[in-house]
Amino acid sequence: MNHLTDETLNEYLDHELADRASAETHLAVCADCAARLAALQALFAELDSLPEEALSRDLAARITPRPSLPAALPRWLTLTATLQAALVVIAIIAAAPFAVDLVSPYLVTVQMPSLTEIVVQFQSQWTTWLDMLSTFRFPAMPQLPPLEISSLMLMIMLAGVSILWLVGNGLLLRKQA
Amino acid sequence: MTAPTDRDLILRARRGDGEAFGELVTRYQKSVFNVCYRMTNERREAEDLTQETFLRIYSRLDTFDLEREFGPWVRRAAANLCLNHLESQKITAELDDDRDAGESSQPESVVEVRERSEQIRVALASLPAHYRAVVELRHYQDLSYDEIAGELHIPLSDVKSHLFRARKLLAEKLK
Ligand SMILES: [Zn+2]
Repeated sequence: MNHLTDETLNEYLDHELADRASAETHLAVCADCAARLAALQALFAELDSLPEEALSRDLAARITPRPSLPAALPRWLTLTATLQAALVVIAIIAAAPFAVDLVSPYLVTVQMPSLTEIVVQFQSQWTTWLDMLSTFRFPAMPQLPPLEISSLMLMIMLAGVSILWLVGNGLLLRKQA
Repeated sequence: MTAPTDRDLILRARRGDGEAFGELVTRYQKSVFNVCYRMTNERREAEDLTQETFLRIYSRLDTFDLEREFGPWVRRAAANLCLNHLESQKITAELDDDRDAGESSQPESVVEVRERSEQIRVALASLPAHYRAVVELRHYQDLSYDEIAGELHIPLSDVKSHLFRARKLLAEKLK
């Protein structure tokens, strides 16, 4: 008579044994195997008897998941975003006459006089205003040299602001993810 | 007013409701802590691992299948986290082997194991980490061999050999 293996006894108690009937037939007549099964059962009972312990502190209060995005944004990032937006608006306004300068010759050939007229009128008005602004001196500081802005400078500024804008938004999106 | 179901709380937590997630923590922190405590036999460590489990669960809440039960899902995640934690500590533990060997050779009376449950905890903690994980999932989480294999990403044959070997070691220690 072959005794039951340890594996069979373990699987029997775990309800993972396919052929339970033949194991039970053997256990009914073999005191050795029945004793081994009883010892294993006792171990199961001991493990089951282990009481659940209480926590020493309430974790619910400690685990506060990060709140949703707007509140979580650090102050410097919010400020940067606002500053970026302001810079871009200023840059676009300042660059408008120069952009029109570049575009207007083509607009004329395309024969859209009404639009061109409006644009040119706006341009001349804007440049006069800009001229006034660039030559404006504070009475208290007469030594200040007049401001000279070339279109190249403006283009470079615009490019710089665009890069800042992209980097800033990249940061914002990464924070969100 | 009846208490909200786990499902309600999960849906609210997914939308960023921290209070709803806090309620889930309140409901399951004790059972999760006990998984971690059986696996580590270190209170403070178990509480930290419990906290870590919930934080990880929160970030994975979208992947939870609402048709299943939340408690078992969190407890299995805890068992896995503890296993990874214990494995990562193994290198440190091996360096301390000399000291441990000195301690375990002391007679039982000096070690002062007062209660039977304390003896069981000590016996569990003496097992290799992956044995502990299999015992936890089989005896305390009631998983089948197949489910354990899937949970720990190990072959079925390893589940059986780890489990049977672990029980042999436990029986010897608890004689
Ligand atoms: Zn037999």
